[in-house]
Amino acid sequence: MGYGSTGKLLYINLTDGSIRTETMPDETYRLYPGGKALAAYLLLKNIAPGVQPLSPENVLVLANGLLTGAPLSTATRFTAAARSPLTGAYGESEAGGFWGPELKMAGFEAIVISGRSKTPVYISIHNDAVEIREAQHLWGQDPIYVQETIRQELGDKLYRVLLIGLGGENLVRYAAISHEMRHFNGRTGMGAVMGSKNLKAVAVRGNERYLSQAFEPRKLAELGKTLAGQVKNHPQSWDMQVKGTPALTSGMNAAGILPTRNFRQGFFEGAANVSWDAYEKDLLKGRGSCHACAVRCKREVEINARWSVSNAYGGPEYEAIAGFSSDCGVDDLSAMAKANELCNKYILDTISTSSSIAFAMECFERGLIGLKETDGIELRFGNADAMLEMIELIANRRGFGNLLAEGTRQLSQVIGQGSGQFAMQVKGEELAMHDPRGKVGVGLGYAVCETGADHLVSYHDTMIANPDSVPFKGALPLGITEAMPARELSCRKASAYALLENWSSLGKVIGLCYFGPAPRSFIQVEQVQSAVQSATGWDISIADLLQIGERATNLARIFNVREGFSREDDTLPERLFMPLENGALNGIGISKTDFDLALTDLYRVKGWDPISAMPTRQRLADLSIEWAADLLPGKIPDSIP
Amino acid sequence: MKLHLGGSLSWYDQQKRSNLLIPLEGPIALNTLLRQLSIPKGEIAIISINGSLFDGDDIFINDADIIKLYPPIGGG
Repeated sequence: MGYGSTGKLLYINLTDGSIRTETMPDETYRLYPGGKALAAYLLLKNIAPGVQPLSPENVLVLANGLLTGAPLSTATRFTAAARSPLTGAYGESEAGGFWGPELKMAGFEAIVISGRSKTPVYISIHNDAVEIREAQHLWGQDPIYVQETIRQELGDKLYRVLLIGLGGENLVRYAAISHEMRHFNGRTGMGAVMGSKNLKAVAVRGNERYLSQAFEPRKLAELGKTLAGQVKNHPQSWDMQVKGTPALTSGMNAAGILPTRNFRQGFFEGAANVSWDAYEKDLLKGRGSCHACAVRCKREVEINARWSVSNAYGGPEYEAIAGFSSDCGVDDLSAMAKANELCNKYILDTISTSSSIAFAMECFERGLIGLKETDGIELRFGNADAMLEMIELIANRRGFGNLLAEGTRQLSQVIGQGSGQFAMQVKGEELAMHDPRGKVGVGLGYAVCETGADHLVSYHDTMIANPDSVPFKGALPLGITEAMPARELSCRKASAYALLENWSSLGKVIGLCYFGPAPRSFIQVEQVQSAVQSATGWDISIADLLQIGERATNLARIFNVREGFSREDDTLPERLFMPLENGALNGIGISKTDFDLALTDLYRVKGWDPISAMPTRQRLADLSIEWAADLLPGKIPDSIP
Repeated sequence: MKLHLGGSLSWYDQQKRSNLLIPLEGPIALNTLLRQLSIPKGEIAIISINGSLFDGDDIFINDADIIKLYPPIGGG
């Protein structure tokens, strides 16, 4: 095995309790060096077509990025992937924190979990020692209790415990996975997949340092020191450290793209109450971090107002702020923070939870559902009590919450009456809190992303809108050559999008947080290249790195093609083609014609057939994954017509 | 004049402030003010003057104005 990886994959079958280890060949490591790439590869190899997401035959992969655990700021991420119970498509979600680095220290690159235990269990990993342990006594318990009990049982308080909550146990389709109560694999329902396997937790403890595997450990450590020193001297990383994502709220509102009342509007009149100024004054108590990261963007909070919130589950990020304030029409800081706390306690995705509630609020206000359906709850925009009650009902799958727990797509199909046009989801995954009517490349991302409406699939249009800006200059080494307006939909925008998508995908492969590399933040493109070179010893170019990212995306796309997804699924909710109803972009919608043309351009740039939205055999061969075409005999077009 | 520096724009202020109170004796060009505060024009994506968006920087502002500036807003 080469440098930068042990190559060790841990296979656990919960049906028969078997545990085995494999070492991946060097060629596999070179093509799929970690994270998203390794996860997509392992899913295609281990899941048969048509497997139901909540069946024992689905496989959950937990895969570290190539650099995860290295002493580099933001190199903390690991991927959770499976067929998604929310979308039926390729499901994937990354988290930072400490669990991935600990798995790396235990010597494993990935865990492949299949089957279903008859009774609740958890997995313990201490270096090479792996055990499946009984967890009946932990089922239904508070995550804080679960973590502490597992640490006591294993006799070591330094175990990192990845776990599910009530949401995952009750198979809420957007249940998340968390560790340390504040780091989340939030999206696409990976917590429900764990729950379906009766798997409560995966506890890990390791003793091997990352640098012992690196090709040039001293150089890598030096780079780590350089990056730590850069944080305060770069405006974007300084901003992440001092303010963090909560600072986005006011700017989004001013720009007219703060999702408000289920995306009907882009300006929220109560935004000042949940702005960074309000957050800093009334909620913020401190700052937290992930493994070896100098950015320290996590917010520690506490508030005693109409609702009291402790710091047990960490502070709300921008997505939760917008989701539980403007999108639900609630202008109370403590209500928003309480909603975030409940989601984190029950381990639910804050985006999908808030968006499902906002959709139901609009249905209620339009008279499509009434008190009979909502268990007597006045589910109107601005009703904070109703919003919080709904989270309880969702987590417990009680009453109307049982339907909300299925996600917005399913909810709209049950309610019908034309509600689908304002069900803010793509492929079944709820939109993140970024309105693409103000940055249309984000809309391209929502449409084509294999997991659904994800906002981190690429970098946002605003990063390349001004040639004099720090983000634009940071993107130059990637091959971005010209600035373009955020609302421009064009062939050149599609080309820029594809380039930035490959770069974002690479980040998920090597385990860097979205808040690490340029253009979003402070780690320059050449520094990422240097880190990979120092870790692996590979003579690797920036173009090679982009290709690794592209290869991972193509594998995820092949997974979806195999499950019957096509261009029809790469679309946006009808509402986004309609005008915003207030704010700076009042009257602005996305042109459906322009969007379809840009989508066609994007497929061509990607080397995909624009009619079927499938990768061509030629493109797969260029990416050294022609074997993936053979998974779909007679289906994959040879080249673009 | 009240000036809000959103997100990363506070980094350019020597004291790293988000909210500044700047007394103006008379009208001043926004361009000039930004130069005096060492805030690069290239980093400003959104200019809000008294609640309305303004496209450009060749405008005079007065002591009673509320100016809010924001950088390019990425994901997260």
